[in-house]
Amino acid sequence: MNAIAGHPSQSGRALRLHRELAAIWATGPGLQRLASVNHSVIGLRIMVTAFVFFIIAGLLGMLTRIQLATPQGAFMDAETYNQVFTLHGSVMLFLFVIPMLEGMAVYLTPKILGARDFAFPRLTAYSYWCYLFGATIVVGSLLFGVAPDGGWFMYTPLSSNTYTPGVNADVWLLGVTFVEISALSFAIEIVVSILKMRAPGMSLDRMPIFGWYILTTAAMMVVAFPPLILASILLETERAFGLPFYDPTRGGDALLWQHLFWLFGHPDVYIIFLPMAAVLSTLIPVFAGRPLVGYRTIVVAIIALAFLSFGIWVHHMFAVGIPHLALAFFSAGSAIVAVPTVLQMFAWLATLAQGRPRWSVPMLYIFGFFFVFVLGGLTGVMLAIVPFDWQVHDTYFVVAHLHYVAGGAFAFPFLAALYYWLPHLTGRTAVHRLSVPAFWLIFIGFNLTFLVMHLVGLLGMPRRIFTYTGHEGWTGLNLVASIGSFIMTIGFGLLVIDLGVHLLYGRRVRRDPWKAATLEWAMPIPPAPYNFASVPHFDSPDDRVAPAALAPALARGEGYLGFTRNGWQETLGVHMTSGTPDQLVVLPRATYLPLWTALTTAGVVLAFLFKLYFLALALGLVVVGLFVLGGQSAGLAREYGPLPVGRGVNVPPHTEVAGTPPWWALIFALIADGTLFTSLVFGTLYLWIAAPNWPPAVSPNTNLALALGCVIALFVAAAGARGSLRAVASGRAPQAWIGLTALVLVAGIVAVVGLIGAVSPRPSEHALGATAAALLGFVAVHAGIGVVFLLSNVLRIGAGRVSPKRIVDLRLTRLWLDYTAVTGTIAIGLVLALPTLVAVLGARP
Amino acid sequence: MSEHAVPPGRLWWLAAGFGVWCITLVALYALHAIGCAFAWSAGSLRTGLVIVLLAGLLAIAALWLGMARAAPDPALGQPGAFLHTVVVWTLIAAFVTTLLTLGPSLLLATCV
Repeated sequence: MNAIAGHPSQSGRALRLHRELAAIWATGPGLQRLASVNHSVIGLRIMVTAFVFFIIAGLLGMLTRIQLATPQGAFMDAETYNQVFTLHGSVMLFLFVIPMLEGMAVYLTPKILGARDFAFPRLTAYSYWCYLFGATIVVGSLLFGVAPDGGWFMYTPLSSNTYTPGVNADVWLLGVTFVEISALSFAIEIVVSILKMRAPGMSLDRMPIFGWYILTTAAMMVVAFPPLILASILLETERAFGLPFYDPTRGGDALLWQHLFWLFGHPDVYIIFLPMAAVLSTLIPVFAGRPLVGYRTIVVAIIALAFLSFGIWVHHMFAVGIPHLALAFFSAGSAIVAVPTVLQMFAWLATLAQGRPRWSVPMLYIFGFFFVFVLGGLTGVMLAIVPFDWQVHDTYFVVAHLHYVAGGAFAFPFLAALYYWLPHLTGRTAVHRLSVPAFWLIFIGFNLTFLVMHLVGLLGMPRRIFTYTGHEGWTGLNLVASIGSFIMTIGFGLLVIDLGVHLLYGRRVRRDPWKAATLEWAMPIPPAPYNFASVPHFDSPDDRVAPAALAPALARGEGYLGFTRNGWQETLGVHMTSGTPDQLVVLPRATYLPLWTALTTAGVVLAFLFKLYFLALALGLVVVGLFVLGGQSAGLAREYGPLPVGRGVNVPPHTEVAGTPPWWALIFALIADGTLFTSLVFGTLYLWIAAPNWPPAVSPNTNLALALGCVIALFVAAAGARGSLRAVASGRAPQAWIGLTALVLVAGIVAVVGLIGAVSPRPSEHALGATAAALLGFVAVHAGIGVVFLLSNVLRIGAGRVSPKRIVDLRLTRLWLDYTAVTGTIAIGLVLALPTLVAVLGARP
Repeated sequence: MSEHAVPPGRLWWLAAGFGVWCITLVALYALHAIGCAFAWSAGSLRTGLVIVLLAGLLAIAALWLGMARAAPDPALGQPGAFLHTVVVWTLIAAFVTTLLTLGPSLLLATCV
């Protein structure tokens, strides 16, 4: 600390500031670490947990290679093999890759963007615990012999009750949905934090490219995850209550699952790639010794890639019988999506070509990325061509392709990132004696394993078979692939040992061993829990900084918030585009509440799994209560007005401004919810257009009076929310308005429940009834959440947390009820209109 | 001249071009599905699809021309100039994408 801050009096000041900040921000020892809400602690925790699941998934993959090494292998029977390969894929994609990149984003993003933490620390903690518990449920099922066994994408009708009567599919549906909701929470928080919580002065045109990548990725998650959550909810209700969304004998369609799944699944692979592209765009300039070529081009490419990834999902369904004209849309899109990817690759190559590259272990893995990802991308363009895809669909060619893109797009860049940021996590540099052999074993083993899979796929070997006779000509190639997998595993084993050597014997380094250009290195390493002793003012002409020069001044408190106040955990909120500071964000401190809430949520999931529905409902109400309880301590207990934040700047606390993080969080939450709702609407229309056995034999019949009454109630509730907001803003008591709003909402819920009870045909008889019940159920749930908002409002008004300047609670309630009214009208309108449309337009020819 | 901040609402322009591409794709896919499901004649279905495609292209072109003609507001400084450049190029990319991914397909047999 003395050497960092220079002159003894300056170092004394730095030390004093460090002690004051550490007292406020540090996580306590022992069991108190379970109460941590700090992003560095949680981020590291996510990454370590994800790495454990990587090892589990990798071992499962090795089991499949042992089984397939020789023909008629007796290592596993078919049933066990099905569980093993399903879990290998599910754990890799849902429990390793997505959480690992989220863990990296959670750990790094505030540091790179010059903030002290994320916007919602308790949500960060809750999301981690939900991930841990959900993942444990999924993986733990293997110990009981009831692991999911329908493939990692769980196609219906195989995953429906008829062909999977056991709980295997329920484990996947409930466990993965649990983890996905956790991931969605992270995503919303990341978007809000990147937009609103950066170093003052960091305008969007000078934000580190890492920020653009993670912002876009998180925004993609907000839109991509809801279709899968919806699909899983519909399949689980089909399995539990017989609602025939996917049953063609009752007006459902198995392809609806495929559409909803891949609407998530294809963007998912770009959600996996983009953060790794962020790593490459951050590391390559450092090792090339020059700025990144084409910052603006890359931003355009990121946006193009994000949107294109949502428009090509049907390339996973080329073999289902969709007409050629429609297939051609997705074939062309799947080819053109290579363009923004290649633009980035050329930017990286140009950066290397124009710089003076220094070779280090991260650069080895970056070379590995270029080699592997180009091969994977080339086979991807091959698969984009429909006639070729028809030949290799469901063969090992596809398995080879997906491992090349997953390995190229994720594994190699991730390992580069691991070696690059390991000094940041540990405060030590690596010894590297084992790192280089580990890389070569992984690289050679990977290519040996998966390159030959292209050939064996072209020779006709289907996916997901647990053995083969040996007469097909696949034997030698499978043995080579299995040998390659062992080489790769040895390489990973060496890597794990290397990590241990690094932790035990690595040379201590104070900061920035790479001469980097981003803010995460402008702090002592390992980092303090508050990141920056004072928040930097970002006045660089581009997105680069000089961490070594900046760090001592920040340590001495010469940035913003170089002091402590009221024991608050403070960071700054900024204007989205300009980076001008506009609010002081006061963050909640450590609490066990996220852990308790996540445990109760896990209880809900387990209750559903064991078909204890009333227990699930009861625990669900407890979860809601815990969220309301958590909301009571949010914000500040009184008005403060503008407060000094250093460098002559005064800004109000976040509770007293309009563009506060909770406001933006609800907007993005509603975008996610709206995506789920849109998926439900399109799913309903899809079944009408494409599913067999329409129209239903029983005439549809909806109570018009109840339907209109419900719509009116929703709009009156929205008006009531406006009334309460106006009352508080003008200093009057809002309780009457809140009471009216709650009353009409409850009346609306009663009306909707009445509608659900009277749905004809009955929901279990035909998909028309099932979709009507789903749409009406959506309305009921949202109106119910509206009541919860009102309850929270009443409690916080009573506790003095709401005032004419602190009205964000009521603005959130108004926004929620507006959204509920609009979606409720569409939902009820569709329930009323669809039977008429079906009757008027007649049966399909 | 003193610099003003780019209004946050302008960020939605980043999604404008490809947002229209997405809507055009969904509209084409849905119209095609409905037309084939209800056995519309090939001619009228193809005409409908072409109209939807042209509407999408015109929408993006209008946005592009509007943005390209308006120079970046100097009062918005470097962030404004950056956003203007990025928006224009996403509109160009979206136009080319719409043309290439959605156009040639309409030449194929409609419901086979």
